[in-house]
Amino acid sequence: MTEPLMSLRDLRVEFDTRHGRVTALSGISLDVMPGETLGIVGESGCGKSITALAMMGLVPNPPGHVTGGSITFQGEDITRARPGRLRRLRGRDIAMIFQEPMTSLNPVFTVGDQIAEAILLHQDVSRAQADKQVVDLLATVGIPEPARRAKAYPHELSGGMRQRVMIAMAISCRPKLLIADEPTTALDVTVQAQIFDLMRDIQREFGVAIVLITHDMGAIAEMTDRVAVMYAGRIIEQGTSDQILDNPLHPYTRGLIGCIPVLGREAGDSARLPPLAEIPGIVPPLHLLGEGCAFAERCTLADDHCRAVRPALQEKGHPVACHHAGKAVPA
Amino acid sequence: MSTPPVNDPLMRVRGLSVDFPLGRGGLFGKPQMLRAVRGVDFDLAPGRTLGLVGESGSGKTTTAMAAIRLAPASGGQVMFDGTDLMGLSPGQMRQHRRHLQVIFQDPYSSLNPRDRVGAIVREPLDLMNVGDPAGRAARVEELFALVGLRRDQMALFPHQFSGGQRQRISIARALATNPRLIVCDEPVSALDVAIQAQILNLLRRLQGEFGLSYLFISHDLGVVQFICDDIAVMYLGEIVELADRPTLFSRPRHPYTSVLLEAAPSLARRKSQGYRRQGIVKGDPPSPLNLPPGCAFASRCPQAQARCRAEKPELQDTGAGKVACHFPL
Repeated sequence: MTEPLMSLRDLRVEFDTRHGRVTALSGISLDVMPGETLGIVGESGCGKSITALAMMGLVPNPPGHVTGGSITFQGEDITRARPGRLRRLRGRDIAMIFQEPMTSLNPVFTVGDQIAEAILLHQDVSRAQADKQVVDLLATVGIPEPARRAKAYPHELSGGMRQRVMIAMAISCRPKLLIADEPTTALDVTVQAQIFDLMRDIQREFGVAIVLITHDMGAIAEMTDRVAVMYAGRIIEQGTSDQILDNPLHPYTRGLIGCIPVLGREAGDSARLPPLAEIPGIVPPLHLLGEGCAFAERCTLADDHCRAVRPALQEKGHPVACHHAGKAVPA
Repeated sequence: MSTPPVNDPLMRVRGLSVDFPLGRGGLFGKPQMLRAVRGVDFDLAPGRTLGLVGESGSGKTTTAMAAIRLAPASGGQVMFDGTDLMGLSPGQMRQHRRHLQVIFQDPYSSLNPRDRVGAIVREPLDLMNVGDPAGRAARVEELFALVGLRRDQMALFPHQFSGGQRQRISIARALATNPRLIVCDEPVSALDVAIQAQILNLLRRLQGEFGLSYLFISHDLGVVQFICDDIAVMYLGEIVELADRPTLFSRPRHPYTSVLLEAAPSLARRKSQGYRRQGIVKGDPPSPLNLPPGCAFASRCPQAQARCRAEKPELQDTGAGKVACHFPL
């Protein structure tokens, strides 16, 4: 059996806030297999970005603390690694791309300089060799006239180009794991399609595993092999992407899929499409979570048992944390 | 619910253009103009929703804002319920504002953080001198109930609300003066999908209740298909395709529309089935400062031929809609 590239076991992350210490992540267990794409999906505040930061050893401290569990990368627990060791792993073995490429690039250096910096930091090469690699990388990520573009400053590039630069930087040292936090959310749809294509090509070419953090179920369908659905700091359902999309068992996952205005087939008449399914209410604030299921107050299936006892992840075809898993959700 | 097409439009826009001066290239340089909107025509019927779709820089927001005189038009005519908006004095335009309201994309920056939300919703009534103070207070309560907020929340400040609730406040404010038309500028783009569905359903319910017309700006064709009756697809400041919803979605004629449809959210494209996108367009749109002589989409169009690069296609009737393409699909 293949060993996972990265394993999270019972990860717990807490944050100091003005409401006292709140638990941002609880009991997160995930495996990322070599060469696969794992999706992490959920609404704002569900903990998906904190999970990504934890995988990079980048939980901001203070106010954040990893207070339990482990993150094993190729057999090494990175929650216990020294800062110097983490710096060597980051950028070389584990790379990350962010939502807003403008704020992740330094505006006063050319993009070529910034990619070269990453190469020089992790590889034993001369500046001239690094510069040559930069041009090759820019060509790999589909930037026309790469030698000229290497001398451009970030503001001279479009949003899609900047994200390509970020991807070039991320793959410069052939990482084994690429964490992509909402990489296309700030981009136009036609450019999003280009970036998704590029990520797929890079995965095929370099065999890199990708963790895709997103709120977009369409991106999950198109890009991922497996998916974890998060709600209020916990994984509430996990499975292959087909299992989650075709046979969601958690009422939250069902709601999340049902409320997307996906392109319906037009019957050719002018009648309006039926109202969208809704999940009532909003995600509860983390400091107000009680003992029971965090989704209970928005759930039409919830009963007293749900409000009193938090359901654990249980195998019901695939892992799901719900006392009423699979039950039909009344409209 | 079906809304039959009405002959008399509430808003009739003809040849609308917006230019933004960019200053000179140097002291003796030629003044440059960014032609953000270039001769746009559309009609919006009472009780219907016209979608303006396109990518960033396509001019969809500028078109809508110019149509309600929140951006300065450099040419064209806007007839609203028989009145030529472009011919109104600033004072007359202010009086007309009560019929024309806006809901903005970002519910965080479009509400004054120092006002209580009750006062925010009441402000349009105060500005327009609608009724007496007691009547206004009652109206605000009514509006809060309409958009699904509680009475006791009126005394709170915007930061005490979630994004979806803030968008409900924006909607209540827009409804305050009983407008005929609301410009909805990407009203759900900043919201999580679960909240997006709540707001979209609310907008549609309010439309039915009050016979509102919406000019709905969005880049998301899934959202547009849900809420719009007619759709204008924009590219670099021009409408490239205009059709009613069933026609546009069942038979897109412009290659750009087809590309946008391909890029819209879908759960059917699966990695597990080896999905690859068809007809991905290359590159970014050309700069609006240096527009090509022919079709603006030609540089990215999979079907482009020599004629497309030389000769600009005009918006032409197809029988079921309009399309600006030499070789429509």
